[in-house]
Amino acid sequence: MDLNFLFISALNGVVYGAFLLLTSLGLSLVFGLGRVVNFAHGALYALGGYALIEVMRRTGVGFWPAVLAAPLLVFLVAMAIERTTIYPIRNRPEIYSLLMTFGISLMMIGAVEFVWGTATSLITVPALFAGTVDVLGNQYPLYRLAATTISLVTAGGVFAVIQLTPVGLRIRAISDDAEVAEAVGIDTKWLLTLVFGAAAALAAFAGALGAPIFAIYPEMGTNILLDSFLAVILGGLGDLPGSAIGAFVVALTKAIGGGYIADWSVAVLFLVVAAVLVLRPTGIFGRGRIA
Amino acid sequence: MAKIVTPADCAQVIRVLATALLLMLPYFVAPFTLTLLTEALILAIWAMSLDVLVGFTGLVAFGHAAPFGLASYAAGYFAREVSPDFFATLVVAEIVVVAVAAATGFVATRASGVAFAIISLAIAQVLFQIAVAWRPVTEGMDGLANVPLPRAFGTSFGEGRAFYVLTVAAFVGAYAALRRLVDSPFGHTLHAIRTNEGRAAAIGINPRLHKWLAFVISWAIAGLAGTLLVFMKAGTTPMALHWTESGNVLAMTIFGGIGTLFGPAIGAITFDVLRDEFTSRFQAWQFVFGLVFILVVLAFPSGIAGIVNVAWKSLWRSRS
Repeated sequence: MDLNFLFISALNGVVYGAFLLLTSLGLSLVFGLGRVVNFAHGALYALGGYALIEVMRRTGVGFWPAVLAAPLLVFLVAMAIERTTIYPIRNRPEIYSLLMTFGISLMMIGAVEFVWGTATSLITVPALFAGTVDVLGNQYPLYRLAATTISLVTAGGVFAVIQLTPVGLRIRAISDDAEVAEAVGIDTKWLLTLVFGAAAALAAFAGALGAPIFAIYPEMGTNILLDSFLAVILGGLGDLPGSAIGAFVVALTKAIGGGYIADWSVAVLFLVVAAVLVLRPTGIFGRGRIA
Repeated sequence: MAKIVTPADCAQVIRVLATALLLMLPYFVAPFTLTLLTEALILAIWAMSLDVLVGFTGLVAFGHAAPFGLASYAAGYFAREVSPDFFATLVVAEIVVVAVAAATGFVATRASGVAFAIISLAIAQVLFQIAVAWRPVTEGMDGLANVPLPRAFGTSFGEGRAFYVLTVAAFVGAYAALRRLVDSPFGHTLHAIRTNEGRAAAIGINPRLHKWLAFVISWAIAGLAGTLLVFMKAGTTPMALHWTESGNVLAMTIFGGIGTLFGPAIGAITFDVLRDEFTSRFQAWQFVFGLVFILVVLAFPSGIAGIVNVAWKSLWRSRS
């Protein structure tokens, strides 16, 4: 295996990592705030892809307006889902949120298959970033680099909102101690619904933006869901910077390891995650919370 | 004084009648339905084994495809390469499953709640990846094929009816064994741990040891189901270990009603029959099942068995 192969594998890993970052942040945020283990996150990611297709088909708009519209639609759908299914079981043990969201995921994937069929849809790369670009002597698709940059900027925006805005302050307060946050007058219930919707919108944005790279099919969310869980657990559930690092650890391990030891790399990754859960359940930085 | 009929007597009669009904069914139904029933009973064994963890120990395992798929691979490989003798195959499969359960359970039972759920998922995913990657033995994504029919008592279980009877025997045996287990002092100890692990430890129970034992027993029973399935399907694929299967068996168990044993069995049979009905008639099976599952979690956390239990109790209350 030569150095160039390693480089391209790593580059692919960074591209995937940027998308995984968006889904992992949402997963981590929702757990940190509402203690919701969201197994429907992958289905919401897939819904983003299908919303993109539907918006483009129905309104005839181009790729970019649809990429912005898709997360908005999913945002509304997700808030409705949260209010009807997760909100009523908030006071039950958190394992119920896992069961509930698993049911939601089954239902959503079933609905997607029913409405749009099981076929894989390919989305053409938008003209703006069509073609390839020379990266150290390799012809690399330009869109991958552009989409990666957009994902990273979006993730940066999420961090900025959480660290710098009043809403972010409230979110941090709830994630720190939900009861005290409520006692000082923060409307935790609606904020949790809002954050669930926002996390779903992030996943949907990733699904739509990644469509020209990863294609759209009903089960498209299952792998990225598991990878996001790996990332979030590595980083510590609820710890956003940890989740961000976790996302790139997972993506790079899969991309680089996959080139050398094929599917064994994922097995190793799961073993590492199981070990982290047992030995260091608070994640690599020790700031997450699990039980 | 006249002998009074107790609820326990009635339950016993119902059990005997149910077994008799199961054994008589082959004479009334079409071969295709018999195959479906065989599969349903195998899934029922699997769901009951999960109930030991979820219902009786309070450990929600999200990776229960692991023992099922692992036993399928071990049994299928042994039956094809060495001997299709049913009991020899079962022993080999159980050795493999119990060994892996003993090792992984040692790690997994250190956690509880969501952490346990995710560790068990990780264990299943590791096995899934091994099944995909270890091509010389598992044949990768193609899976094991051409597993011969099982042999026992000098005959081959070629005919659907014979294999069905074998499955009924396994199902009744598994139910009786698990029933005894959960009603034993050991079962009560598990109950104590589920209710309050800290207090259980305070009165001298070793929660780790008991959770580990429950884990191994649960895997061993799931291994029986996996062994039966690989013979029934004459093979297996890595999809048997996929996490959606883990989700399915958890859904069957909760749908049926955890902590009751018969609930998960009914849940599994309902799941299998409905899946067959819906997938052949219209395509929205997954949607319907997801919807029903959500409603169960939302409104009837005790599942079908919960409804049956309430009816059963009110029946006896009105008599007295």
